[in-house]
Amino acid sequence: MPRNVPRDAQKLTAALAVIILLAAASAHAADNETIARGAYLANAADCEACHTDKEHHGQPYAGGRALATPFGTFYSPNITPDPETGIGRWGEAQFLQALRAGVRPNGANYFPVFPYPSFTKITDEDARAIKAYLFSLPAVRQVNRAHDLSFPVSWRLLQAGWKLLFFNPGPFRPAPERGEAYNRGAYLVTALAHCGECHTPRNWFGATEPSHFLAGTPAGPDGKAVPNITPDRKTGIGNWSEDDITTLLKDGQTPDFDFVGGAMAEVVRNTTRLTDADRRAIAVYLRTLPAVRSETRAAK
Amino acid sequence: MKSSTKQSMLAAALIFTLAGLCGIALAQDKEAVLKNREALMKGQAKDLGSVKAYTDGKGDLAQAETGAASLTQSTRKIPEVFPPGTGATDSEGKYSTKPVIWSDWNKFLDAQKNAASKADALLVAVKSGDKAAIQTAFGDLGKNGCGACHETFRETLKN
Repeated sequence: MPRNVPRDAQKLTAALAVIILLAAASAHAADNETIARGAYLANAADCEACHTDKEHHGQPYAGGRALATPFGTFYSPNITPDPETGIGRWGEAQFLQALRAGVRPNGANYFPVFPYPSFTKITDEDARAIKAYLFSLPAVRQVNRAHDLSFPVSWRLLQAGWKLLFFNPGPFRPAPERGEAYNRGAYLVTALAHCGECHTPRNWFGATEPSHFLAGTPAGPDGKAVPNITPDRKTGIGNWSEDDITTLLKDGQTPDFDFVGGAMAEVVRNTTRLTDADRRAIAVYLRTLPAVRSETRAAK
Repeated sequence: MKSSTKQSMLAAALIFTLAGLCGIALAQDKEAVLKNREALMKGQAKDLGSVKAYTDGKGDLAQAETGAASLTQSTRKIPEVFPPGTGATDSEGKYSTKPVIWSDWNKFLDAQKNAASKADALLVAVKSGDKAAIQTAFGDLGKNGCGACHETFRETLKN
């Protein structure tokens, strides 16, 4: 009997080791799962496009891309986990505040060229997954470039007033009676994919006009025209079927066999990686929008 | 009036007239260029349509093959329809070319050759009659051939 004690102890130790290893592995798997989810969401939100200076072969997510607007040229910041030049020192609360309230860790406001008015609708769970993904990326040391803005736009304090007037903070509110696809589509279009940031015209203060949501604008990013994607038959995409919309999001092809270019070609590189169900959800939601007649016409 | 003055006035008038005629000729040339360009692109859209009609079960294979064969030809004619300095203005069209097309002509040729080789691949797929293979080659030509070129070299003037 006494001889059995060490053997039992050995067994116990071995069993404990197995349990600990399994627990560690499952925690690791959960981490990887969150990171993978974050990667999918970051792709849907197209973070990389603005936060990478592709034109000058910049590192992914290290910022520096010039974004020309009527208010001046903005340079996107580094969002890799580099502690000095990126967001490596940010905690979860700081990340969530930046993403959804447009407030920097030092309390200053972002300019709405960063689409926090859309991102405010992102859920806690999704925001955390996006952070986990960004923090899994290689840290790149690249100092942010100052924006090139003229007075008084350059005066960041004014952003507080802008927010008071135009920013509606708060999470996405689903409408359960409209079904799962509609709600998923609404969440993707209005929160993550922030379609309205380009497809909705802006007022004098650069705020999007809710009455013309997704109705297109002659002066979109880089001063280029952006089409009306409301279901108006004459000036929008009212004649497009659900399949027409999902085909565009998957292959960049319009119903008349044109292939989109410019900024939308960049967007399609992301939407092509969405699941079929998510592309379908976007189409379902777009087709329920109020049709807005606009001066700007969609590709016929 | 001294004859030398008269002569120089005549010469000036002649030069003026010639320059004017050249200007008209150039304008007509540009109009023709834009028309040709649009016709080439619209023809390609039609050819792509005939391929898609087959994979969608709405058209026959022979027409798809004609379309794909035509695409292997027309993608090679793209550089011809972009002579230097023929970007469209607002009144001339919905789309224009970005000036980079001529400042970085070799990059444009690379993009065009890329599209042409994808058209070749589509023709091979169509000849096989395998719908899945055709769909893959179709998506590749559209997105990474046509779309890649439109992304870098085309701009939207109005909608």
